[in-house]
Amino acid sequence: MGRYIVQRFLWMFIVLFVISMITFAMMHAVPGGPFTQEKALPPEIIANLEKRYHLNEPYWKQYLLYIDNVMVPHISKDAAPEMVDEALVEISLPGGNYLRWINFGPSYSSRSRTVNDIFREQLPVSIQLGVISMVVAITIGLPLGVISALKQNTIWDFLGMSVAIFGVSMPVVAMGPILIWIFGVALKWLPPTGWGAKPPFTLFFIPNTLGSWDFWKHTLMPAFAVGTGYSAIIARLTRASLLQVIHEDYIRTARAKGLSERIVTTRHALRNALIPVVTILGPMFAGVLTGLFVVEQVFGIPGMGKYFITSITNRDYPVIMGAILMYAFFLVISNVFVDITYAWLDPRIRYD
Amino acid sequence: MYSKKWTIVLGALLAVSMLLSACATPTPEEIIIEVTKIVEGETVVEQVVVTATPEPAAAEMRDNVLHVSFGPGDVPTLDPSLGTDTSSIQVVEELTIGLVRLHEETLAVDPGMAVSWDLSDDGQTYTFHLLEGIPWVRWNGNSVEEVLDADGNVRYVTAHDFEYGTKRTVDPDTGSSYAYVLGMALAGVEEYLYAENWNDLTDEEKAALRDGVGIKALDDYTLEMTFLTKAAYNLNIAGMWVARAEPQWLIEEKGDRWSEPGFSQSYGPYALKEWVHDSVMTIVVNPFWPGIESVPQPIIEEIQFSMLDQSAAFAEYEAGNLEVAAVPSADIDRVKADPMLSEELIIAPDGCAYYYGFNTEKAPVDNVHMRRALSYAVDRTDLVENVTKGGQQPAQWFCRPGMAGCPYIDPHPGFGITSNADEAKAELALHVAAVGYTDDSEISEVQLMHNTSEGHKKIAEAIAEMWHETLGIQPTVTNQEWKVYLKTIRSEDVPTVWRLGWCLDYPDANNFTREVFSKGGSGNPEVGGLNWLNEDFEQIVLDAAVESDPVKRVEMYAEAENILVYEDAAVLPIYWYTMVNVTKPYVNRTYSNHGHDYYEKWSLELEK
Repeated sequence: MGRYIVQRFLWMFIVLFVISMITFAMMHAVPGGPFTQEKALPPEIIANLEKRYHLNEPYWKQYLLYIDNVMVPHISKDAAPEMVDEALVEISLPGGNYLRWINFGPSYSSRSRTVNDIFREQLPVSIQLGVISMVVAITIGLPLGVISALKQNTIWDFLGMSVAIFGVSMPVVAMGPILIWIFGVALKWLPPTGWGAKPPFTLFFIPNTLGSWDFWKHTLMPAFAVGTGYSAIIARLTRASLLQVIHEDYIRTARAKGLSERIVTTRHALRNALIPVVTILGPMFAGVLTGLFVVEQVFGIPGMGKYFITSITNRDYPVIMGAILMYAFFLVISNVFVDITYAWLDPRIRYD
Repeated sequence: MYSKKWTIVLGALLAVSMLLSACATPTPEEIIIEVTKIVEGETVVEQVVVTATPEPAAAEMRDNVLHVSFGPGDVPTLDPSLGTDTSSIQVVEELTIGLVRLHEETLAVDPGMAVSWDLSDDGQTYTFHLLEGIPWVRWNGNSVEEVLDADGNVRYVTAHDFEYGTKRTVDPDTGSSYAYVLGMALAGVEEYLYAENWNDLTDEEKAALRDGVGIKALDDYTLEMTFLTKAAYNLNIAGMWVARAEPQWLIEEKGDRWSEPGFSQSYGPYALKEWVHDSVMTIVVNPFWPGIESVPQPIIEEIQFSMLDQSAAFAEYEAGNLEVAAVPSADIDRVKADPMLSEELIIAPDGCAYYYGFNTEKAPVDNVHMRRALSYAVDRTDLVENVTKGGQQPAQWFCRPGMAGCPYIDPHPGFGITSNADEAKAELALHVAAVGYTDDSEISEVQLMHNTSEGHKKIAEAIAEMWHETLGIQPTVTNQEWKVYLKTIRSEDVPTVWRLGWCLDYPDANNFTREVFSKGGSGNPEVGGLNWLNEDFEQIVLDAAVESDPVKRVEMYAEAENILVYEDAAVLPIYWYTMVNVTKPYVNRTYSNHGHDYYEKWSLELEK
């Protein structure tokens, strides 16, 4: 298992490397640059700006510069933690030197900030919302799917699936404003917008206000709006998969040898039925993280989602690269977790 | 039976999980809610007392805090040299004061950091006498404090800071997008800003170019600025955010990060307190700002800017958490019908214009009659009333009335181009005759292009329909993603008709008529755009810039606009923007005509 995980991580580096190359090529192939704007700038000004960000260099050189900044540790005399040219990892060495590693570069549209800043301040908010939304999705979706399957073709089944279909067909962009209007404006129970935690975060993403109502009251509506949509997918998949498993021979065998219905369902049926569900949970989590654009906009949450869109419309190259690589990273990581969960759910699956 | 058990177990599970999420509620809810509002640590103690002894009917008071909203997305910068957008500039206007300050209602040039100024005989050199004893301040985590130098003395804002700030803006290494505005006005800037082979120059050569810039501190409180020409708008430019005092010591230490919270130093009526990126920014009153006539001491303690989408902001307004909000276009009808909200609604002019440009080299709009026909055929009133619905003002020319030098609507109701179906048909007939078509159907195709956006699409479709109805011309409407679009309309492939907008940098006709449409301007670049050059127009806007008689200036710009929208009809003006805002009745505010609010003049009625 350990070897397998190491292997997967090595593969991850290759995958990220290839993705970075493709992204780099594609974003430079799109017409228009970061400094193309409605109030046309004089060419000399654009030249100054491009020089500042090395955009006047040939593409191969720009790419190598980027990879160098991100991947290669640099030893430097000054700490420069407060300068824009900063690194995610900075270790102080003897002799007044600093080892600095991982610099995702500046943001063109916000001069005093960097892509590292966005990772430190916006990404954690998205992770918080993403995790809570996933918890909501699973707590609603899983029981709903199980009930529907066990009570197939009864009123419970129809009810459960109606809820699921409602969840699927009610996009956040519609559900968000409705929730805001009911609970935020009319009843005034919850704050209509905003987020109850701000940087710095403990352990990269845990909000310091986790224990306070202030954090949760900002979280309820957006997490519910995102969660219900995904819960519907989980419910439908759980139901379909459980229905299939229930009719397998080994379930009949289990019943035949006199196991209680509860044991049959939990230990034999549900455990096997969860494999396809777990499979989609991985990419779903990565998808939730990056798909938060709409919900973050609707609820005014300072997360990362918006940067996937605005970085591209602004041609903010380092932010595009950073956002895409981050997404790829989460996708790969969550797939590794999925694989590990497989082995736990189904002892026949082994990676050695 | 078994399955019944299951439902119970699952139901219980569900209930427990719901309870758990709800249980995160600590019992004394109110304490925490209040604490987040007040922020400081010590207030917690106060809250406990409040809950223990319920105080009897003292009048409920509001916090002396104003909550307003910027659009979605982070404020790009608080660096005066780098600001290009409304939100950045709005905050910069409250953190720093220019040499002069434009009155937000009359647009008159009031003294700012300069108490007075002298003008040289040739009208090109201003000598500003600065306000003395204004300290640099910063937020230290608890309060606003004066900035001290290494010896412990208070740092005061001096002419040297203004010289440094301005020169930093036009330093090629700074890469300021707005430096070109100074380049067009201030002496010696273009030589420095656009210096050839900048990287190969020696330090001495760079210093020499830097010294050539027409701004010089004669002593601590006397500043001299030399302009290229004697122009009416020179003072406006001296007051712009790109020419502010900047803290050299701080910028040299912190680099681009200097304007971040924790570091930021300023001297205006407010100081930066907190900036949670992408979320909320708070500025707090600067007690060291003495207050002058044009910039009094602020009454409102704190201003909180939320970065919210329009509909989110409007929901917050309706929930009572924002004092001012823009009304999303989808809600305008509802707000107008609502008895309470309609009282709070104000539709005020905004310094922006929306227009279509013609590629004057491309058939069929290479003929002026065709262009006029298309322009006459657009029913602008119908468009703003039924399509855009934001109370926009139909535009008959480009320059926004209300800006210095721009023509006014009242004395000239028929001036420029109006909407007139008969005239449109007559011009079309002239066009057909002039080109020698035998039939209308021979007119080559009109392509109308806009950048991808729901709003622009609605307008384009409405205008296409008007052209079709009045002239029988059915244009093809296409769109492109924003930056691709900008590239297209500034290239050889510019379509027959394209759309753009313009918002003011400083409220003067020069910023509109000349900077946009004289050759090389934003809407009339060397390649693409209008593909238009009219020597008379160029001469008039050049002369108008230096004309000192305001009445004469208006006449000159009127003449230029007439060429632009009627005689040559190179541009099809559509409407002037408005701001559709709601303000809570307990806010006493001013309305700004130049796009930035001066919050130091606002106040709140604190008693509920």
